[in-house]
Amino acid sequence: MDVSRAINGTARRTRFRPGAEARCRAGIAMRLLAGVGGGYAVAALFTMALSIGLPMPRAEAVLTATMASFAIYAAAIVWAFAAPGVLRAWAGMAAQAALLLLALFLLEGYLP
Amino acid sequence: MKDGFRQSMAWLHTWAGLLVGWVLFAVFLTGTAAYLRPEISYWMRPELALSRPGPENAAVAVAAMQAMAPDSPSWFITLPNERETVTRVFWRDPKAQGRRFRDAVLDADTGQPVAARETLGGDFFYVFHFQLHYVGVLWGRWIVSICTMFMLVAIVSGIITHRRIFADFFTFRPGKGQRSWLDGHNVCSVLALPYHLMITYTGLVLFMLMVMPWGIDRAYPGQRAAFNTEAFGNAPPRQRAGTPAPLAAVTPLMEEARQRWQGGRVGRVIVQNPGDAHATIQLIRAESERLSYNQQSLTFDGTTGALIHDSGDSGAAAEVRGVMYGLHIGRFAGPLLRGLFLLSGLAGTAMVATGCILWATKQRQQAARRGAAGFGTRLVEHLNIAAIAGLPLAMAAFFWANRVLPQGLAQRGAWEAHVFFIAWGLCLLHPLLRRGRRAWVEQFAAGALGFALLPVLNALFTTQHLPATLARGDWVRVWFDLGLLGCGALLGLLAWKVARHRPSAPLPRPAAVLALRSLAEAAP
Amino acid sequence: MIGLGFALAYAGFSALCLAMERHHEQVFRSRRIPPWRRLALAGGGWLLLGASALPLLQALGWGMGLVFWAGILTVTAMPLAMLLTYAPRLALALAGLSLPAGLVLLLCGA
Repeated sequence: MDVSRAINGTARRTRFRPGAEARCRAGIAMRLLAGVGGGYAVAALFTMALSIGLPMPRAEAVLTATMASFAIYAAAIVWAFAAPGVLRAWAGMAAQAALLLLALFLLEGYLP
Repeated sequence: MKDGFRQSMAWLHTWAGLLVGWVLFAVFLTGTAAYLRPEISYWMRPELALSRPGPENAAVAVAAMQAMAPDSPSWFITLPNERETVTRVFWRDPKAQGRRFRDAVLDADTGQPVAARETLGGDFFYVFHFQLHYVGVLWGRWIVSICTMFMLVAIVSGIITHRRIFADFFTFRPGKGQRSWLDGHNVCSVLALPYHLMITYTGLVLFMLMVMPWGIDRAYPGQRAAFNTEAFGNAPPRQRAGTPAPLAAVTPLMEEARQRWQGGRVGRVIVQNPGDAHATIQLIRAESERLSYNQQSLTFDGTTGALIHDSGDSGAAAEVRGVMYGLHIGRFAGPLLRGLFLLSGLAGTAMVATGCILWATKQRQQAARRGAAGFGTRLVEHLNIAAIAGLPLAMAAFFWANRVLPQGLAQRGAWEAHVFFIAWGLCLLHPLLRRGRRAWVEQFAAGALGFALLPVLNALFTTQHLPATLARGDWVRVWFDLGLLGCGALLGLLAWKVARHRPSAPLPRPAAVLALRSLAEAAP
Repeated sequence: MIGLGFALAYAGFSALCLAMERHHEQVFRSRRIPPWRRLALAGGGWLLLGASALPLLQALGWGMGLVFWAGILTVTAMPLAMLLTYAPRLALALAGLSLPAGLVLLLCGA
């Protein structure tokens, strides 16, 4: 499975190390979790923030945000698998989520 | 680095597509059939004659509902149009079991339930393609939505993976094994790419408030009705008054709607609280007239007939959603454009099929080098046969059931669906007994026979056979029978192609021996 | 109008194909395309493709016209890909015929 090794960010032509296969599977599982779970969280936060933040009538904002959310979700999944390393994938996802969460709190007026 | 990116996208494309490929195949094929929903329904009710939609249909339907469901709090009436010759009604019945809805198909001219066999008609494929069968409505919709999300990811990663998208635009090299499958997959995907992207994304948008409810929950906590009013200009619902009052005549309201819409037709009528002083009659414009599915509607007071609400024009975002909705269901399309949608849908079906087969072919070649095919490869091959060759066969069985099942059978419509799934289930078992190519050929051939014999069956069991319909000029039935023959011919061609196929790329000797051995092992 | 759209799209795709070595070889049995001819074919192809949208937009308006155009691009490109593989000469002949046929259809009002 040299492809999966490549997406783990390690060199493709590494010599065999015990546990490499297991590590590779774990990497894929972590990316999957980042993409499917983290990506959905990012898309959901994005939808929430835009629904109350867009400068247009409330219903229009909800529709716009929800319609766009699937593009965000797809992009997040692609990012989770495109990022050079598992850590980077998770870090990118977490940064996005944190930014959106902050925006959401600001919009809701929880923070000064 | 760049290479690593492409490779990881290729990996994502492969697995996102393969894991749900068989569901996507079924959704694509039945969804494509759903473009012909009214025609299928018409063909499946051979007792019906072609009636002409007229201005009195609405009054007839309302009178029928008053007789059939006077106590119901709401009636939903779909009027006949140039494609659908019957009036379809459903209503809320507080006494009914389950979803508390009942429905009926009425003769447009008399308002009597049509004297036709009980059948699911084209609705079966339509409903199956977004909520499956046997599983609950919500389960089905969630499963299909998740698979659609996989599809979107597969499309995006596929575009990124395909590095020579323009150079390979028209390339098809037949008879070269894996490469031919790749070419075929590319041609089906790239040439109809706008359609694939459109149908996938709009499919997600259809159920977006179920899949992604967070925006609406945040902006409208617990007030979906308020959202509907603001977003789509629906009239706010009226509470029942509790005092009886007769319903206003509907025909003058139809005339008023026609004038307000500059000749536009009414497609549906919704009556709330009929017989109550707070009744409303909502007239909804026919969806075949506009690209956008956003309903233009007029709401009248149900007793005085005074206009109380005009949905007017919706905002930009609501209009975008309406256009997406409209594009997905394609009801605005005239015959020619519907043909284009149908062909694009078939291209999508072929795209999924070739993708699944490509994976299996690749694995088989690797297996030939290694020695034996693993369990995964054999499982995929098995499911490929059951889905790609089996589903058309099951669809033919569905049409057969419509003609052959006895008229008086209880739950006849449900049994049509049972026959469909029994046939499909047999297709799933069949490759256990007949391995590999033999299973492909037999299922394709059986499907071809099933479709090709349908017009014959039609002549045996009904009076609506091809010569008769041709003589009468009943073109919908004529085209449908010809289309069935066409499906039969296509499946026959596939069967013949598979049967004649010889793996062309000559393998080096030891590998060839190994491949032969694995083939011999695969055979029973 | 719609017939003209079909014809222009088919001719455009054919020209673009002929500007590619692989398909040039399929039709003319030679991979070498003189540079001026390649330029003319590619430019003409894109022009014809763009032009194929015009009759549809004119006849059907922006929304429906664009939808129709996308559909036409798909269903003209697919048979072309098949024809190039199995009957390349026929693909060329159809491309040559498509423009006059489109004009005739236009005059007939289709």
